[in-house]
Amino acid sequence: MSRLTERFRQGGVFVWFSGTLLAFCLAMILSLVGYIVAKGMGYFWPSPLVQVQTTEGPVLGEITGHEPARREETEKIQFRVGNRDIYGQDFRWIPTAELGQPQYPKDALLIERLEYGPFIGRIASLSREGQQFATGPAALAEALQRLPEANRQRHHIQSIEKGEVGDLNRRIEKLRLSRRKVEASGDAAAQQALEAQVAALQTTYDQLQTSLETARAEAKAWTLNLQTADGKVKEWPLGSVVRVIPANDLTGLGKLGIYLSRLWEFVADDPRESNTEGGIFPAIFGTVMMVLVMSILVVPLGVITALYLREYAKQGWLVRAVRVAVNNLAGVPSIVFGVFGLGFFVYGLGGSIDKLFFAESLPTPTYGTGGILWASLTLALLTVPVVVVATEEALGAVARSQREASLAMGATKWQTLWNVVLPSATPGILTGLILAIARGAGEVAPLMLTGVVKLAPSMPLDGTFPFFHLDRKFMHLGFHIYDVGFQSPNSEAAKPMVFMAALLLLLVVVLLNLFALNLRRKLRERLGGSTF
Amino acid sequence: MPSTTSHQARAKHVDKFMAFTISGGGLLIIGAVLAMLLFILKEAIPLFLPPQSKSMGMLQATRAGGAWVDESGKAIVLMSPTGGLKALRFPEGTPLPAPADGPALPWRSATALNARGESLVVGADGHLFLTRLTWSKPAGENDPAQWTLEPRWQGGLQLEQVPSEILHFRLMEGGGLGGDVSLRIVAQTPTGLVWTETSLEASSPVVAWKSIAYEPSLQPTAVVWSSDGKILFVGTREGQLVALDPESGRSLSSEGFGEPIQSLGFALGQQSLLVGGVQGKLAAYQRVRVNEVFKLQAFHSFPRLSGPVLGFQASQRDKRFLAWTASEMVVDHLTTERRMFAARLEGPGAAALAPRGDVILHANEATGALRLWSLDAPHPEISFGLLWGKTHYEGYEKPEYVWQSTGGADDFEPKFSLVPLVFGTLKGTLYAMLFAFPLAVLGALYTSQFATPRLKNAIKPTIEIMAALPSVVLGFLAGLVMAPLLERMAVEVFLYPFVVLLLSLLIAPFWGRLSLPFRNAFGNGREVLWMVPVLLVALMLTSTMGPWIERVVMGGSYRTWLQSALGVTYDQRNSLVVGFAMGFAVIPIIFTISEDALSSVPKSLTSASLACGASPWQTAWRIVLPTASPGIFSATMVGLGRAIGETMIVLMATGNTPVMDWSPFNGMRTLSANIAVEIPEAPLHGSLYRVLFLAAFLLFILTFVLNTVAELVRQRLRRRYESI
Repeated sequence: MSRLTERFRQGGVFVWFSGTLLAFCLAMILSLVGYIVAKGMGYFWPSPLVQVQTTEGPVLGEITGHEPARREETEKIQFRVGNRDIYGQDFRWIPTAELGQPQYPKDALLIERLEYGPFIGRIASLSREGQQFATGPAALAEALQRLPEANRQRHHIQSIEKGEVGDLNRRIEKLRLSRRKVEASGDAAAQQALEAQVAALQTTYDQLQTSLETARAEAKAWTLNLQTADGKVKEWPLGSVVRVIPANDLTGLGKLGIYLSRLWEFVADDPRESNTEGGIFPAIFGTVMMVLVMSILVVPLGVITALYLREYAKQGWLVRAVRVAVNNLAGVPSIVFGVFGLGFFVYGLGGSIDKLFFAESLPTPTYGTGGILWASLTLALLTVPVVVVATEEALGAVARSQREASLAMGATKWQTLWNVVLPSATPGILTGLILAIARGAGEVAPLMLTGVVKLAPSMPLDGTFPFFHLDRKFMHLGFHIYDVGFQSPNSEAAKPMVFMAALLLLLVVVLLNLFALNLRRKLRERLGGSTF
Repeated sequence: MPSTTSHQARAKHVDKFMAFTISGGGLLIIGAVLAMLLFILKEAIPLFLPPQSKSMGMLQATRAGGAWVDESGKAIVLMSPTGGLKALRFPEGTPLPAPADGPALPWRSATALNARGESLVVGADGHLFLTRLTWSKPAGENDPAQWTLEPRWQGGLQLEQVPSEILHFRLMEGGGLGGDVSLRIVAQTPTGLVWTETSLEASSPVVAWKSIAYEPSLQPTAVVWSSDGKILFVGTREGQLVALDPESGRSLSSEGFGEPIQSLGFALGQQSLLVGGVQGKLAAYQRVRVNEVFKLQAFHSFPRLSGPVLGFQASQRDKRFLAWTASEMVVDHLTTERRMFAARLEGPGAAALAPRGDVILHANEATGALRLWSLDAPHPEISFGLLWGKTHYEGYEKPEYVWQSTGGADDFEPKFSLVPLVFGTLKGTLYAMLFAFPLAVLGALYTSQFATPRLKNAIKPTIEIMAALPSVVLGFLAGLVMAPLLERMAVEVFLYPFVVLLLSLLIAPFWGRLSLPFRNAFGNGREVLWMVPVLLVALMLTSTMGPWIERVVMGGSYRTWLQSALGVTYDQRNSLVVGFAMGFAVIPIIFTISEDALSSVPKSLTSASLACGASPWQTAWRIVLPTASPGIFSATMVGLGRAIGETMIVLMATGNTPVMDWSPFNGMRTLSANIAVEIPEAPLHGSLYRVLFLAAFLLFILTFVLNTVAELVRQRLRRRYESI
């Protein structure tokens, strides 16, 4: 007994115990990251279409989930049956007991569409303007052949809609605003000139509309007659088909091709179906833009503050207190910065700017509402402590001998700073900036108050003067995750998209962090010194 | 060399300029960053400013029995049986056009104009008319000088008997198709109280009165209809307030008031009955369900007035109301019981509160003098007591802490108690810390004291990566993956830590029996790696044991078991999920700072301990941990700060219901999530907006203090290490 007590006192058990807790932490992190990677990366790989016979008829779909038998409930399998326009739901749980022998029909197709999610079934025939053109396998071959052309046409229509039509709309809107200004001044001649300009634009607009109409009609000429596994029929225009995937009839290379094409669509395309399908390019672009603007703002702010605190301010209790206060700002919740951004930047500064420069478009706010500038400014404030701390550390680490050498040569303080101290502190400042970017890219709460939206009609950077629109709202990866995962009506179907977006965000943030932390470690090793 | 001197001079200038710029810029930036706090505070402060009132002046007019003031405070309507309706412009006193299209003058009687500008008039011919004040304004014309008063007259109903006084009437909108309006009237006749319900069509049959067979001992002094027009509230000379069924005359409930009742009225929403006594007592009652029975309940009382309370008028914007006697006039707020306005009067008369509640009018009955006051109180519904104390709201049985900022109707009573939100914040933080603290501190202890250097170099970056995980990703996983998983496998999840603990306790003695060279070569310092398979084994064990335990011990389903054995319900998005996810966010913070503190404990101390024969664990537990405890305290403070302010995880992983319940199976709403949910909808500079700024201010102060304390403790510790 006493030996046991003795051993207990020696505490080998506790070493194991604390080791277990640490192992648990590490296992949690790794499984979390691994889970996101697996879920995100796997989604685009085409999975086979399984057909089973149930009591309610045949069911065709991808197997997406499995629930073992528990309590009263029997074992169940989740099928993604698609065809939301016909069945009303994308998923079905089917008890394993009801399943017959699973089959993998070669002719089963997964058709990605612009609306209502994918169609899963077969192509019965292909028609042109109501006339049957081909049936059966010939129809599939024909459809596959015509699909690229149809897609090209659709992109063409979309680019006209978004580019030229949008551009015209903006110009007409601008003219309308200047007309309001002129009306207030009462200059009749100027007013007439403006009217003429509007009329001219309107004519162009009408012409564009007619050509668009014809293009749209043409796109609708080819239609597919689709048939589900249980025999329901659906007519679908070829112009609204994104991809036709013969899922059970693919070689490994074919699967890879589809995987890459889907991945590309995800990264480079606009979202569809209230963000649950298509790509997230605007969100990626918005995140990058916002982080860029934030970086431009945060570096001078942080560096000047650090220079002042470390090089110019008289070291004393006050500076120490200020330093502690600035450091502690990093611990202030991000939502508080959001509240400040909303109250001060959006309503305060933005409201004043509107009153001074955009009075003609009031009460519609221009800067007096959330926008990329305000969001970036808010995040810059949020991340300034990170840059200040890193810069101060870097400035402190520059060897005294170097400064003294420079000063002894007769250089002024500024010359020493600019030519000697700052260059050797640059890697440290860069580390701070990267950490700030990593923090900024992952923040969502302050953005929700200062300018992020679920779907932005136009990007903050485009071909219209002045090209970079600081007042525009933008999309953001993090907010995209929140919005699609939690606000979307069809969040189950959108889940894989969210995983993919989460993976992307995670990659960006983690890689940036790893890079910055490695850089910092290297710098510290080179310079020596304790971290605590 | 002159060029060098000029060069030097320029360099000096540049140096001076840069010194100035950087000092100025630095100070400016620091000032701006710190001014954030002041700005947030500045936005919240108007909540607590006292209401401002000032006299708008006096005007001599004809004597009147009824008065009404427009929301601009510039147009006044006076009404008297002899003079009819007259409109005046204030402060000039010039009459505004008003067609005399009502019943012929003089009228027999007229009720005082109510807050919506309605009155019942009995004409000279004994017919009954309803009038509603409306203005005809030229488009975009805000100057009342250009307005015309166009009262809408309806009725002309023939009365079976002209009552001596019409006590109260209520318009019941939308009874039938086309929104038919019906009218319920209660009146006093020489033989007692009578009531009737009639339509407003002039073609209606003669209005017949039904007498109310109430208890003969009651002497009614004031009577009003309930909001649905089904119940009469009667105040009596005996000081009883009675809810009466008009059809049967039966008393549904009654309550003593303490002094004879003089007048009755309603606050906005017609839920709260305002009662005024003969000696100036002022209270609000409501009819509320207590233990399945409707009861009259006194739920607010206000400072006493002097003399009998002559009348009430409610604001049409919020829950403030006007009450007056012959000598004074006050505006009180129902919810906060705050007196917003008080003025002395020179005699009895008619009084009115503008629809927005910002202009107050008194018309002296004897002299005809009109007096107006303006009242500026943007946030009357907020008081310190309301934010932090229990408040008795309309429809509630007793005072409670409630957060419900908006409701469906205009007459909604906003409920701004911050207590449930602070509670939610603390609850979330508590569960997160319960999960994170032991894991992080013991993990740090292991890493700093027992792990091999190579392992340590692998562990630290991994944990740092954990710190970098965006909280939106954690929240998403918590809400969409973990919450359903936990719901399905709650028993297993609860079981798992115990199984792991048991296994690790079993391994240690076994390990002790192995030969020392083997232990040194494969084990010591690498226990973590050995534990990975153990964790997996534990996972398998629990997944088989879980369903068995659930079946045998809990009788099939843990949810019903929880419900029957502990009386708790299980929400899918609950505090456990939040604690887990937020703990995940906090672990790396506590870990990193603790690990730094633990690793920096001077080697001399540990070496001395080991040399005295202490085991490594004894050294770690008795020497290293106590020495570094300030560092761990500091780590905990920083972790707390993070947990308190975390927004996205809580937003996504809880149901965001502001309930006050410590149960780990319920959700909550935190201060931060509340801001994120509500501020996009909050009108600029409204009460909600400012309360949310106040919440942000609290968060700021709380986290700032926590972090400052942590920093100071850490600095002291650093100095101590240097001195050892």
